[in-house]
Formats: sequence, structure tokens, C-alpha cells
Amino acid sequence: MRKDRWWLCVAPLYVFTLLFVLGPALYMVAVSFATNRDSGYGFQWSFTLENFRRMLDPVYLQCFYQSFQLAFTTTAVAVLIGYPFGYFMGRLSPRGRKILLFLIMVPFWTSSLIRLYGWLIILQARGIVNQALMGLGLVKEPLKILYSYPAVLTGMVYALLPFMMLAVYSSVEKMDWSLVEAARDLGASPAKAFFTITFRLTLPGLLSGIILTFVPSMGLFFIADILGGNKIVLVGSLIQDQLTRGSNWPFAAALALVLTVMTSLMIALYRRITHVRDLEGVF
Amino acid sequence: MKQKRYVTGIVLVLAVLSVIVTACTGKAGKEELVLFTWQGMFPQEVLDGFTERTGSKVVYSNFDTDETMLERLSQAKGGSYDVVVADDYIIEQVIASGLASEIDKSVVTNFGNINPLYQGHFYDPQDQYTIPHGAGIPLIVYDPAQVDFEIRGYEDLWNPALKDSVALIGNYRVINGITLLTMGKSMNETDPGVIAEAGKKLLELAPNVRMIQDDNTQNALFNGEASVAFLYTSQVTRALEENPDLKVVYPQEGLGFGILGAFVPSQAPHKDLANQFLNYLLEPEVSRQCFEYNGYYNTNKAADAIVTPALVVPESVTSGEIIQNVPGEANEVYDKNWIEFKAACGEG
Repeated sequence: MRKDRWWLCVAPLYVFTLLFVLGPALYMVAVSFATNRDSGYGFQWSFTLENFRRMLDPVYLQCFYQSFQLAFTTTAVAVLIGYPFGYFMGRLSPRGRKILLFLIMVPFWTSSLIRLYGWLIILQARGIVNQALMGLGLVKEPLKILYSYPAVLTGMVYALLPFMMLAVYSSVEKMDWSLVEAARDLGASPAKAFFTITFRLTLPGLLSGIILTFVPSMGLFFIADILGGNKIVLVGSLIQDQLTRGSNWPFAAALALVLTVMTSLMIALYRRITHVRDLEGVF
Repeated sequence: MKQKRYVTGIVLVLAVLSVIVTACTGKAGKEELVLFTWQGMFPQEVLDGFTERTGSKVVYSNFDTDETMLERLSQAKGGSYDVVVADDYIIEQVIASGLASEIDKSVVTNFGNINPLYQGHFYDPQDQYTIPHGAGIPLIVYDPAQVDFEIRGYEDLWNPALKDSVALIGNYRVINGITLLTMGKSMNETDPGVIAEAGKKLLELAPNVRMIQDDNTQNALFNGEASVAFLYTSQVTRALEENPDLKVVYPQEGLGFGILGAFVPSQAPHKDLANQFLNYLLEPEVSRQCFEYNGYYNTNKAADAIVTPALVVPESVTSGEIIQNVPGEANEVYDKNWIEFKAACGEG
């Protein structure tokens, strides 16, 4: 191939991105300023800010708050479990790493929805957890575990934890351990060596883990619907609701736009705080 | 080889002759009735029974959704089909578009068998065009072993004794609607102020709600999650199959339901035969066979005594309402009520 034809290779990618990513995104922005039809399906192309004004209603603000709160908590729990896991996994023998990697991948062979129904069976009133607790005589009445915030949080962390583990693992694996040895030789305590060297060097992995957990958890509304019994209303389910039952596409578009902007700001903020430019596996 | 050709020739001639003969006899009076509805609405013996009675075959033609039916019927300009069975709201459009013909009550002599509960509704206020053929009714089902008072109506769902033990279907208009019924209002209330009031009352129900789900809601009664459930017709049937000791409540405030209606299109090819078919459907034994087959509530009063008791709405129930579309302004309040309610359920 001649040198000036290189763009032919990338052109399909650009066309694809423009058509299927940028196009729909722009359409969404346009629809968010359109007017909903009074009855039935469809909307009119007349400019309005009504969809954004409506979002200021406490009910909808509450949904945003609820979504962010759940996303933050999920991410925090995922960091607490996933970081140490990824760290120790990176320090295992190559054989040990392979086995663990395989074990992390196995659940992905089953649809996430089916695995979620598995949680239903585990957590329900006559489920495994309650039967065990009652069998051990710890409780008399079955606990109401399902359809609650902790149940939803469990489901979210369960679904997103592998992303955190793998992201941290990939940066621990690449680390140059001689730096840590040098620090220890020069008299740094294990804790000091960890925070000044290991933590800094694995930060890109941790950060991509955070983004890979935080961003999807803003949108994974079906976990809240199934394990939360539809009682925890997230922005994701609100958007789905407005697209289908509510048949208010402009409002759904406005909600989606605000969600996208807020999530992007969040990512920018993370990067600002941690001064990380290159994210492992994300960008 | 030659012989084989000869045989083929004879077979062909015979085949052509037989077609001509059938065509002639067909013209001589054996008409075919074209029935247009969803799949699985009628058991074969009901269709065969009509053929035995009249000598006319019933051709069963299907549609998937009400909208498809309306489109096909419009294209056929009210012709092609003899009897159509569809949902209440679409029949309103069929009648408004002039695609239905009036029922010939001199033929449909069983018209008086219809349960008046299912008559005079919005889609056909004078009962000129349709006969009801089954109803879907969301009802309360509870486990008397776990609830220590008798549930009689929607209002009882608010009873503090039911804290965290009610399972609900996820239909926002139905749940808003039953709240309005407890306030003595219509399920189709359009005054935003009144709907907002219903929203406030709905918030008080939140502490009792264990879960909201549209599919297989009845399972909550079996896996120990809920002791009371507000369910769709098919779910009520399945719940009773699983546990016949469950109690079904026909709420005293009135029912909310959907009706399936049968009508004859305006240009139906065999109108007289079609009216005979409607009359046939209203025979008690035929109704029994139909409803026990498709699982909808019996709309034929004359069949009440013979149909499975679970498919009969008790005498004491005298009022019912169908949910209809409301103006956007009202719908927005219904929508907001629903989201506030769901969020409040999560806080409890």
C-alpha cells in the first residue's frame, strides 16, 4: 500500500463512529429540546426547555441522587474488594494467576440476567441464606433480605467486581518490583513503600477500574428492578420508562443527555484529582 | 412408461373434476365463516360444533396485535372477515371508523345472556355493535394463613398490619386507578388536582409494598416474600393452580377490567352466518368451553352456573371500569405519582 493511502484503513472506523455513535448522540440532543405530543406516540420539532425544567422536580432530582449514590457506593465497595484482590493476584505465580483469571471468567459464560435470578433464589425468604440462618437457629423468622438496598448493592458489586479486579491486576502485573526493593533498601517502611511506589504505579489500573465500575453502574437499572423489586428508581429505569410506558421521548432524551454530561464530568474530575492521563484498557 | 402417463392423466382429470364439483356445491349454500382473532382464543370443539350445526366451516385467521387487526380490516374496507374478536380500546376505533356493523338482534337471540357488568362501556355505549367475549380483571389474592383479617377491597391494602408484605403488578394506571376507586373517584379521572391527591394517598401505601413486578408476580406468594398480591387474571389463575387455599378478593370498590369484544365487520361477506356465530358463542355450554380454554373471566351470565367457579365474578360485584387513554396533562400527573410511589417504597 502506498504511504498516502493510510487513511483508507481508518476511514471505515471513522464512518462507523460518525454514523452510529455521533449521529444518534446528536439526534438525542436534538430530541431533548423537542416538544412531546399531547396524546399518543411521537413528538413535534418545536423548541422547548420544558423537558429540562421538568427534571428539576424533586421526584426526578431524587432519582439522580439515588443513581449517583448507588454508583458511588458500588464503586467504593468494588475498590475495597477488588484492589487487594488484583494486587495479590498480580503477585501470584504465573500458574496461580492463570487459574484465578479463569475463575473470574467462568461466570461470564452465563447470561448476566440468569446469574441475577440466581441471586433471587439465594436471597429470597425461603432461599438458601435464610434456610441456613434458620437451620443454625440464628433467626426465627426469615429475614427480608431481597427487595432492599443491600440486595441491590450486592447484585451491582457482584456484576461489576471482575472489571475492577482485572484492571488492577493488569497494572500490578506490569509493575517493576525492583523499585519497591530499592525503596525498602533505602529504609522505607513497607507501608511507605506501598503508598509512594506501588500505589502510585497502579493508580492508572485502579482508575480504569473505577471508571469501568462507575459508568456502567449509572446505567445498570435492571439489577435494581429485579433485586430491588422495582422500588429503587434509578435514572436508567426512568429513561426506559419514559421511552416505553410514558411514551415521552423528548423527556427521555433530556434525562439521557444530563446523565451523559454528568458521567463525563465525573470522569474528567477523577483524572484531574489523580493526574492520570493514560488509563489502562479504557482509552 | 406409457401406462404410467395414462394413469397420471386420469388422476389429473379426476382432480379437476373434483374441484369443479366442490366449487359448485360450495356455491349451493355451504358458506365459510372467516373468524379473525388472536391465536388460541377458541378450542377446536367449539369451531367444529358450529360446523356441525350449520354445515359451514370456520376458517380461523390470526393477528398478533390489535393494531394489526385494525390495519388489515381498514385495508379490506370492513370486508374479508365475518367475525372479529379484539380488545375494547381498538373496537372503539373500529366503530368510529365505520368498520363494524350493527348486531342483528333478531338472530342473536341469546343477547340477554350477557352479564350486564360488561355492557354499556365506552367503546360501545349502546351495545349496538359488540358482544363481550371474556374479560381480564386484576384482583387481590392473599394467603389466609398469613393474614389475620379479612381483605374485602383495595382499601384493605393500606392496613398497617400488612407492612412490607404486599406484591403489586407494575401497571401505573391500574395502581393509580385503584387508589382513585378507594377515594370514590373514577379510574379515568382527568382532573390533575384529584390525581395529585390520589398520589398522596398512594404514598401511604408504600410501607406495605414488598415488591412491584409485572411478570410472574404470583411467585411472591409462594417463595415467602409476600402474603398479599394484586395480580393480573392469568396470574390469579396460576396462583390458584399452585395453591387452591389462597383467597381471591373481588374488591368492593369495583373492578378495573379489560373486555374482549366480538363484532361483525361492516362489509362482512356472510353477515347472517356471522350473527349466527355470535349467537352460538352466547350459548352457555359454548361459553363454558371457550373460557375454560382461554382462561378469561366469563362474560356470559347464563354460563355462570356451569363454568369453573374461579372464572365467575360474584353477584355482589356490580360495578367495573375500563382504563382508557387520558389527556397528556393528566397522564403526566399519573406518571409522577407512580415514580414518587416507587421511590417511597424503596425508602421504607
